[in-house]
Amino acid sequence: MIIAEQKPLDEIKSMIADYQKVLILGCGTCVTICFAGGEKEVGALASALRMATRLDGQNKEFIEATVQRQCEYEFNEEVADLIEEADVVLSLACGIGVQTMNEQFPNKLTLPGLNTAFLGQPVEQGVWDERCQACGDCVLYLTGGICPIARCSKSLLNGPCGGSQNGKCEVNPEIDCAWQLIYDRLQALDRLDLMMEVKPAKDWSTSRDGGPRKIVREDLRLTFVEEKQS
Amino acid sequence: MKHDEPPPVISPAEEASPPCQVACPLHTDVRGYVAAIARGDFEEGYAIAREPNPLIYVCSHVCAHPCEEECRRNQVDEPVSIAALKRFVAERHDLSLGHGPSKPAVEPKNQRVAIIGAGPAGLTAAYDLARMGYPVTIFEALPEPGGMLRVGLPKYRLPREIIDIDIKGILEAGVELKTNVRIGQDLTISELKAQGYEAIFIGIGAQQSRTLRIEGMDLDGVLLGVDFLRDVNQGKPVKLGKKVLVIGGGNVAVDVARSAVRVGNLGDEREVHMICLECREEMPAHEWEIIEAQREGIVLHPSLGPNRILGRDGKVVGLETIVCESVFDSEGRFNPSFVCNTESVIEGDTVILAIGQASDLSFIHPEDGIELTPRRTIKVDPDTLATTAPGIFAGGEVISGPGSVVGSMALGRRAAISIDAYLRGENLAKLRFAEPQKLGELPQKTVEKIKPLIREPMPLLPLEERAFNYREVELGYTPAMAMRAAHRCLTCGGGAYVDTGKCAACLTCVRVCPYDVPVIKDGAAFIDPTQCQACGVCASECPAKAITMKLYSEDQLYQEIEALFATAPASNPEPFIVGFCCLYCAYAGDEWAESVRAQLPPNVRTLDVFCTSRIDIQHLLRAFELGADGVFVAGCVGEECRHTDKAVNRIQGKVQFVKEVLNQVGLGGDRLALYNIPSAEWGTVPRIAQEMAERVRTLGTNPL
Amino acid sequence: MKAGSNLEKVLTAGYFAATGELGPPQSADTAVIEKKAGYLKGYVDAVNITDCQTAVVRMSSMAVAVMLLRLGLEPTMQMTCRDRNRIAIQSDLLGAAALGIKNLLCLTGDHQVFGNHPTAKNVFDLDSMQLLSMVKGLRDDRRFQCGDEVKGPEPRFFIGAAANPFADPFDFRPYRLAKKAKAGADFIQTQIVFNVPKFREYMKRVVDLGVHEQCYILAGVAPIKSFGAARYMATKVPGMDVPDEIVQRMKATPKEKQAEEGIKVCVEVIQQVREIPGVAGVHIMAIEWEESVAEITAQAGLLPRPAV
Ligand SMILES: Cc1cc2nc3c(=O)[nH]c(=O)nc-3n(C[C@H](O)[C@H](O)[C@H](O)COP(=O)(O)OP(=O)(O)OC[C@H]3O[C@@H](n4cnc5c(N)ncnc54)[C@H](O)[C@@H]3O)c2cc1C
Ligand code: SF4
Ligand code: SF4
Ligand code: SF4
Repeated sequence: MIIAEQKPLDEIKSMIADYQKVLILGCGTCVTICFAGGEKEVGALASALRMATRLDGQNKEFIEATVQRQCEYEFNEEVADLIEEADVVLSLACGIGVQTMNEQFPNKLTLPGLNTAFLGQPVEQGVWDERCQACGDCVLYLTGGICPIARCSKSLLNGPCGGSQNGKCEVNPEIDCAWQLIYDRLQALDRLDLMMEVKPAKDWSTSRDGGPRKIVREDLRLTFVEEKQS
Repeated sequence: MKHDEPPPVISPAEEASPPCQVACPLHTDVRGYVAAIARGDFEEGYAIAREPNPLIYVCSHVCAHPCEEECRRNQVDEPVSIAALKRFVAERHDLSLGHGPSKPAVEPKNQRVAIIGAGPAGLTAAYDLARMGYPVTIFEALPEPGGMLRVGLPKYRLPREIIDIDIKGILEAGVELKTNVRIGQDLTISELKAQGYEAIFIGIGAQQSRTLRIEGMDLDGVLLGVDFLRDVNQGKPVKLGKKVLVIGGGNVAVDVARSAVRVGNLGDEREVHMICLECREEMPAHEWEIIEAQREGIVLHPSLGPNRILGRDGKVVGLETIVCESVFDSEGRFNPSFVCNTESVIEGDTVILAIGQASDLSFIHPEDGIELTPRRTIKVDPDTLATTAPGIFAGGEVISGPGSVVGSMALGRRAAISIDAYLRGENLAKLRFAEPQKLGELPQKTVEKIKPLIREPMPLLPLEERAFNYREVELGYTPAMAMRAAHRCLTCGGGAYVDTGKCAACLTCVRVCPYDVPVIKDGAAFIDPTQCQACGVCASECPAKAITMKLYSEDQLYQEIEALFATAPASNPEPFIVGFCCLYCAYAGDEWAESVRAQLPPNVRTLDVFCTSRIDIQHLLRAFELGADGVFVAGCVGEECRHTDKAVNRIQGKVQFVKEVLNQVGLGGDRLALYNIPSAEWGTVPRIAQEMAERVRTLGTNPL
Repeated sequence: MKAGSNLEKVLTAGYFAATGELGPPQSADTAVIEKKAGYLKGYVDAVNITDCQTAVVRMSSMAVAVMLLRLGLEPTMQMTCRDRNRIAIQSDLLGAAALGIKNLLCLTGDHQVFGNHPTAKNVFDLDSMQLLSMVKGLRDDRRFQCGDEVKGPEPRFFIGAAANPFADPFDFRPYRLAKKAKAGADFIQTQIVFNVPKFREYMKRVVDLGVHEQCYILAGVAPIKSFGAARYMATKVPGMDVPDEIVQRMKATPKEKQAEEGIKVCVEVIQQVREIPGVAGVHIMAIEWEESVAEITAQAGLLPRPAV
């Protein structure tokens, strides 16, 4: 799922500097689960901002609300009156939610209160790890189910590089060397043969490098009409 | 501010009542008042306990407390001291605040109701009906009201001033009492009707001792238990020898025996024996009563049946007994069987029979239309307690046979509801009484995770000071003891419930629960109320705010925080400090929340929580937002925690987080501190408050 | 001949090769390059020009390589995948070949966090293995990475790759070397060897795999300037294995004698690795101490360098 974290308070303060009535809008899905933008976080941020802005001699008003999924119009519509009422919306959703809001409510500016960090796994309470880079061309079948694109600092397809030491990445001893993990896994699976192949240069066009991506399932669209066989 | 919050979803299982409440015939909210005591809110505890119970003072001394038998703590160690806690709140209650809840605003009604008998059943029915607006009159044969409470129960267990307190409260609710009026003798039922009473409640109890048909019953020195007690209680002279033999093994027999020990204050000069059919283990009296009796020197002779009373010169000289093999037959009927040729004699000069009571129904005349059963009891509809005569109802021991105070009260209450329905012209046949649903037992895996806690012992009058007087034996709890005792409650069914509409299935609750209760079911968290220990950890950590505690919710905590500021000293040069204190471990020894609070200067306010893990980040932030100059959290972060080890330390992370927020806000994280209080150190809260105040003084006041 | 460089000739003729290394300046200063070139000229067969080593911005390796050519030394241009995608790399290769550069060392490159622009966006479009294949494809198949044909003269390089015998997982390292040979490496330069027994074990496995017959393996060596430098390399540089006895030996040496001792250690290592089957030469990495190379090669008996 999407992992995010709150922006520093000072940055948020400067974003909302010109506005009086701020709607802090949380999202009940991914960012709730990663403790960045659920109802609890909305309340805590509102509290912090009330204090911080009062200390600055301002008298701002903060409204709190949380919708189930901010990336969907229908859910945001439920708080349309609150959005209307506010001078600006401070979204505690991921970047998708923020953009949905801006698109859906063109007359109201929605600001990002979070930094959308990565696609990751909550590996334990309070710890989230990047797991996928949405490269659009999954290689996990070659790498024992461990993603070298997201988890190797250099996105190597033929790792590990010479910086791999004691299972850690040269970049930082906090980072596991993805290729050590891959090696260990493949060894356990008796599939080290996969390590011996020189994997060719990757086609990055399906990744962000190919430009913004889009998936269309014509069959699912409400406008879908079956083409007549000619 | 919350937007469009859907109502919390409570599944039927979550509405099950705790077993203590279900066991109490009056369905007293035991959990509620115990929790109030646990928080040091003793008046609130009294109010909750008093709500259903107009004889709260009496019950607080002598209630048979079936609640304790059902208490789920039995599965872990020993029951919560529910009865002693009730006594504690009753004793502390300031009667100038009134006896109980003020009379509801009801339309006064003009249908008069007559109540026969001022025992617990009659008093309760009268009280309830008066509160419903009916003019009620009690007719009592004896000079004083109370029934068995006054003439049956010994004073050393129930001081008479105690009865008077409750009676006063009942009469103040608008009940008229006429004593020295025996129905059947001074007035008849038809006369009552003629006087305009549109409904009548019969609550005459079971005031007659049962007797035995054995040789020697007419000898001088043979007494009947109930009569003996009545005489003792009414201060009439009783003729008791030096060696008293009490026949019977029930609670009444024990009361008779223990009263016999006290009559005349003869000390060691009088021996008292109890002879009963049942073996020691099966004696029907409460175990604790038997033990007290033995401690007072009473000699037990179980498994013996009375064969005949031996006499010389018309006076009792002893009792011939025979060994009793079994009391009930294979079908469970009372049918004792004896072993031949096992006769033996116990010498004695007095024999008192305490083998059961029955009602005197001679006041009922055929024209009253009240049918009796073949066993010569009044025939009633078991649901509505209506007799066969329209408008006439019966309840209490006259219906149930010998029972308990609460049991009799519950029947009085039920009759009152029926009478009201009757007088309002409702079809009684449709009136049905549903018993509350009982919360299930603790699963074994939960039992294993609950830490045992010692049941706070009740201080008793020392033996040498008690046997020969009528002073009450149980002395009652101090506030610190009461709080400790109340802390043992598992708050059954008062714990967490999930608003599945909000739950993001994030697994936080699943991971943090010290008792491994929550699971994800059908896409949302499910918290089994039979397992939940109401620690509140999950509610304080749920990022979706999907969990609420049924008892003492997060919102209540917010309100309490706000209330602290409402009474803050207006202009005080001293820093204003708010302390969140763990009720379980911030106070110890003879300290308790209120006594500590009294020691604190006006600039320090404490707020007590059931375990600091209940506090969430927003609570801490709120205190600063409202203007606290400093906030401290006092609780253990170690093994002392009442909950399993998983619950400890959760507060540390939250404090850490809020400190960081305060730094970012510009208030400074140093204004918040966590103090680890091991329960052994006492009196630390004032010391912490002082230290905190000093620390905050250097930081200056909260500029908000 | 694949590219016909001096290094390629020395190795194919069967000589024990010696290469050096030159780190470009963090400025447009040419004098320093001339000075360092002077320390190396005549003592080594080719000189590696690092490509913004440790991700610190330095003069382009292609520019420095061309300067060396002008000074009469043979450069080995290093090329990493960190800063360029396949388009930029191929473009540079065409240019480098056109300018007369014949040796190319293909590397993945250090991550930018180590350098002076840690906030930079990295590229890593290719990894070193894929870079090797691409360079080989350009040379042998005359095809760009996309498959298009190179119309006109193709860039021809004597292709090098790096190997770190001391990185983890140890067991995989010989195979990774084999992969590099398969991908296109003609010669290999290893990470600096201090732990000779471990290197010997590594080489044994490499020889068992027959990799030494597919490419020339040059063992990396370096002089240690001081006890501090030894300790730093032993503890702070990832992928570097400095046995404690060497650190202790430096420590035991009086400060003013430490540089001399460091050179001695380096010479000893050269003499030892020379005896290891499969080792075709040494790559002397005396970065920022280029003046020591003359001494080292002399003491190790590597002089004079063969003229081929
Ligand atoms: C010795 C003893 C000890 C007990 N100890 C306990 C205990 O510790 N805990 C506990 O829970 N229970 C105890 N009980 C039981 C408890 O006292 C009774 O369950 C309860 O009092 C019954 O209430 P009641 O209203 O049905 O009848 P009673 O209390 O018997 O009251 C009936 C009233 O009706 C009056 N009356 C009778 N006939 C007439 C008439 N014709 N006209 C007018 N008035 C009439 C009587 O004088 C009496 O006041 C004890 C009982 C006894 C005898
Ligand atoms: S633990 Fe508390 S709530 Fe549970 S049964 Fe006992 S007294 Fe009642
Ligand atoms: S912590 Fe809250 S949101 Fe997460 S699973 Fe539990 S109830 Fe649901
Ligand atoms: S964390 Fe506490 S309150 Fe929540 S389910 Fe577990 S025991 Fe109950």
